[in-house]
Amino acid sequence: MERRIFLGFAGPSIVVMCLLMVMPLIMAIWLGMHFMTFDNVLEPQWVGLRNFAAALADERFWQSFNFTALYIVVVVPSWIVIGFVVALLLDQVTGLARGVYLSIFLLPFIIVPIVGTIMFRQLFEPSGLLRWVYQELLNERFRYTEQTVKSLILFHGIWYVTPFTLVVYFAGLQTLPQDLMEASGIDGASRLQKIRHIVIPHVRSLTLFILLFSIMDSYRVFDSVFVLTGLNPLYKANTIMTYTFQTATQLERLGRANAMAVLTIIGIMVVLIPNLYLSWKEQIAER
Amino acid sequence: MNRQKLFILVILAMVTGLIGMPGAFAQEAGACNIEAPMEAVELNALGWSFPILDFYYSEIEACDAVENIDINVNQLSGEDVQEQVNLALSAGGDSPYDILSGANGQVADWGGKGWLMPLNDLIDKYRDEYDLDDIPAANWEVGAIDGNIYGIPVIANTLHLFYRSDVLEEMGMMPPETYADVVALCDAIGLDNMDWDAPFGMDLSRPRGWELEFFMVLGGLGGSYIGEGSMPAFNSPEGVQAVEVMLDVYNSCLGEAASSMSNNNMETGMHQGTLPIVKLWASRAAGMSDPDSTELTDVIDFAPAPRVVEGGPRAASAWLDFFFIPANTTNDPDLIFRIIMEGVDAASQQQAAMFGIPTRSSAANFGGKYLPAASGTLAESVGNYSKNPANDIAVAKLSEFLPLTATGEMSPQEALDAAAAAYTEEATAQGYIEG
Repeated sequence: MERRIFLGFAGPSIVVMCLLMVMPLIMAIWLGMHFMTFDNVLEPQWVGLRNFAAALADERFWQSFNFTALYIVVVVPSWIVIGFVVALLLDQVTGLARGVYLSIFLLPFIIVPIVGTIMFRQLFEPSGLLRWVYQELLNERFRYTEQTVKSLILFHGIWYVTPFTLVVYFAGLQTLPQDLMEASGIDGASRLQKIRHIVIPHVRSLTLFILLFSIMDSYRVFDSVFVLTGLNPLYKANTIMTYTFQTATQLERLGRANAMAVLTIIGIMVVLIPNLYLSWKEQIAER
Repeated sequence: MNRQKLFILVILAMVTGLIGMPGAFAQEAGACNIEAPMEAVELNALGWSFPILDFYYSEIEACDAVENIDINVNQLSGEDVQEQVNLALSAGGDSPYDILSGANGQVADWGGKGWLMPLNDLIDKYRDEYDLDDIPAANWEVGAIDGNIYGIPVIANTLHLFYRSDVLEEMGMMPPETYADVVALCDAIGLDNMDWDAPFGMDLSRPRGWELEFFMVLGGLGGSYIGEGSMPAFNSPEGVQAVEVMLDVYNSCLGEAASSMSNNNMETGMHQGTLPIVKLWASRAAGMSDPDSTELTDVIDFAPAPRVVEGGPRAASAWLDFFFIPANTTNDPDLIFRIIMEGVDAASQQQAAMFGIPTRSSAANFGGKYLPAASGTLAESVGNYSKNPANDIAVAKLSEFLPLTATGEMSPQEALDAAAAAYTEEATAQGYIEG
């Protein structure tokens, strides 16, 4: 393809990407090198890499990183496994019931995230239904502690995003070659063998896509943590995003918060590069 | 009656009516006596939400009915308002908001940064029309920095005790007078008593709640936040003692239940009878006498806030809430000022007294049965934050570290020293402490 034609097609996208992605990133790096609060927004003070060093030396930044990592490790596999299993079950259902089940499973994904999280929290407030059920069943009070709050955040994360993976896998299952399934059945393959040797390889590229999406999405988890913890340090449940937000808005360290945002992007890239490489290799192999 | 007499009577009635009408209009709550502007004006208000402020905003919104005036009110939580204002005003561009509401802390924070408009000229201009001398001079002074009045004081507020008189009577106890009494009461009820969410409610559910309680207890011990040259003074022996008093209450009265003791939950808990006694804002007291909110109106009573030491001040701050006009508003400040005034005139404040403590002297006798407890607390309170602009940094740093004492992660001295170090670093960087 001629360079002129290539630029004609790709140019608008490149310009938009530069404006919406590259420019803010450069701005964030530049702001991260300044001491800036809400008092001196118009005249920030140059501090070089001091904000980056301070963020990396900040114990609470690493505490936030650790909880973010825990969130990814628990929630992402849960999305994939539960979404896949429910999609397999749903694939067995036919007729009107399939639509009804699908609608029910999609409900959490339809609700506006922040509204869903507030409703979820209210279930555990002193006058909340689930709190009452908990107390009736266990004859002890439900309390917000570090453990319960972290558990609620993880549970909420699984509940909220699993419908997305379910839909993706369900769509993938509709393209499964039925002749292959029938042939394997004639050859005596059990249901589990069919899943292992036909279904899972068939949805492999989807799994990779979900993995990429899920890691990015869970790395930037914010709503549920913000609502469920109120950014209370007692729960030690800050994620990198909420701690960055807290640093910017409550501690008014805008420069340091920008440095944290840049470090977060670097962190995401470190996690995603192996996945992107795998995805690229798969595409090459498919060609 | 002949025609002539009837005519005179009608004229007399009309004249009397006309003379009385401006007064009647001015005294009528919910009315907006502002002429329609020539061009359409859209005003955006931003503030917190609690009953008396909600009422004032509803009064301000009455001006929405005037042709060419469109008023949008956004009411958020305290932290969210602070964030919105920081983001909207710090860059110095046009303000997206025309009316802001906040408390003492915001006078120093926003006013000190030049984000608010001095209102002296407007106050002088409308002093008689809106009877602004009805608001005591001391209240205006709280909203001023160096003679510039930034805030229109509309609500007085403090924290005092709300308690179940039937429960205390059954136990043969009086409302606590000191924190030691509070702990004794909690021990008598029992922290694990399943009849109650907790033996005592106090807002330690959020970092800012810890800081605020610390300010009040520290004040009760005679301590202060900031000393000479804006150096930190809160990590003093009084500071350590204050945190220890708070931890005594935390351990005996709240424990893990503290996380659920937000102001909203405590208010609901009193309404529903799941809390026997709480320390809560006076602005939330009116609902306790409202049969639509609770069936316990007869047994919910009020007492002044406890003292830290016998004979000392009450561990409660004296707050004022204000309406502000941002310095960079793009609308006519004169019109904005009058719209605010329509919402907080004498008639409105007299009605507002149902929901909280208004600031006008003429509305002083319209409050509910909580008023003696609230007034008694205010009279002996620890006052409020200093107007030192670095105070805001102290608030942020104390909020960051004080909650960590609850889990034993930090001792009181360690938490205060950590807050002092962080405060010093930040205040030095911002030029409040000489480096």
